[in-house]
Amino acid sequence: MTTGTLQASISYGVGFAISSVAAPPRRLRHRHVTLAKAEPTDKSVEIMRKFSEQYARRSGTYFCVDKGVTSVVIKGLADHKDALGAPLCPCRHYDDKAAEATQGFWNCPCVPMRERKECHCMLFLTLDNDFAGKEQVTVMTNFKAL
Amino acid sequence: MAISSTAATIHFWNSDYRAALSPPSSSSSKLSYLSSLQFPRQLRLLGVQNKGFLSPSQHRTLSPVEAKKQTFSSLDELLENSDKPVLVDFYATWCGPCQIMAPVLNEVSTSMKDKIQVVKIDTEKYPSIADKYRIEALPTFIIFKDGEPCDRFEGALSADLLTQRIESTLKVKQ
Repeated sequence: MTTGTLQASISYGVGFAISSVAAPPRRLRHRHVTLAKAEPTDKSVEIMRKFSEQYARRSGTYFCVDKGVTSVVIKGLADHKDALGAPLCPCRHYDDKAAEATQGFWNCPCVPMRERKECHCMLFLTLDNDFAGKEQVTVMTNFKAL
Repeated sequence: MAISSTAATIHFWNSDYRAALSPPSSSSSKLSYLSSLQFPRQLRLLGVQNKGFLSPSQHRTLSPVEAKKQTFSSLDELLENSDKPVLVDFYATWCGPCQIMAPVLNEVSTSMKDKIQVVKIDTEKYPSIADKYRIEALPTFIIFKDGEPCDRFEGALSADLLTQRIESTLKVKQ
């Protein structure tokens, strides 16, 4: 969720080391923009991205036509995984996140999703949903609206 | 980036951007309106506009106020002082549907600027406010009239549907 024109006054050092890989991941190019809010680690983002693809296939659901939404939610899941050890649903407010992560109801895939294929994050959409695209694969992209 | 939103839109400034709440020398009517509310510096503002954030160059023309402790009464103060009904959007940074709503809220706050004031609250920055209103799913919208919540709904929706919902809520209350 970064914009190319955002000039933040804080410089935020992301802790991942850029080891000698042939080509840096494409999304690093977008990380020159810093946000007051911490970005999740690349590793967690990749884990949650892969999970999302697998789970979409398994559940017969599809990603949103707007891949920015998909990316934001995947980052939110990764952020919670980093902070709490479990991918707590990013589209909810919690009294006690740590307790919720342990309890598990809202860990992705949450119970409403597992039981009724209800994903209010708009990450996993059934085909009849107006916003469902046709894809069960996704790449991380910047969300442009904000 | 120019501030294109109307005076009807309230923003919470991120203290990290050192946003000013004292009257700036070159103020738009919107900033003056903001300053008159005496918001604590730490309340986070979000630009409800094209790109969503002011560039730091715009911030440098404004002088910071003395830091005040963030108090819960600030939202109450806003609600009390507002002469219009207030639509509050409870959101989180990493909530996809909440991000969808950003341009929708821009549009609605502009088109309905005489009828309603739009406020966005980051539930992760202000968990006590979110707890007070028992926010669960995000985004949650609450329409306040005369300082009291009078309508509440969850989930992203289009500008048309949001406008319709606001209008029908306000009509009932009139």
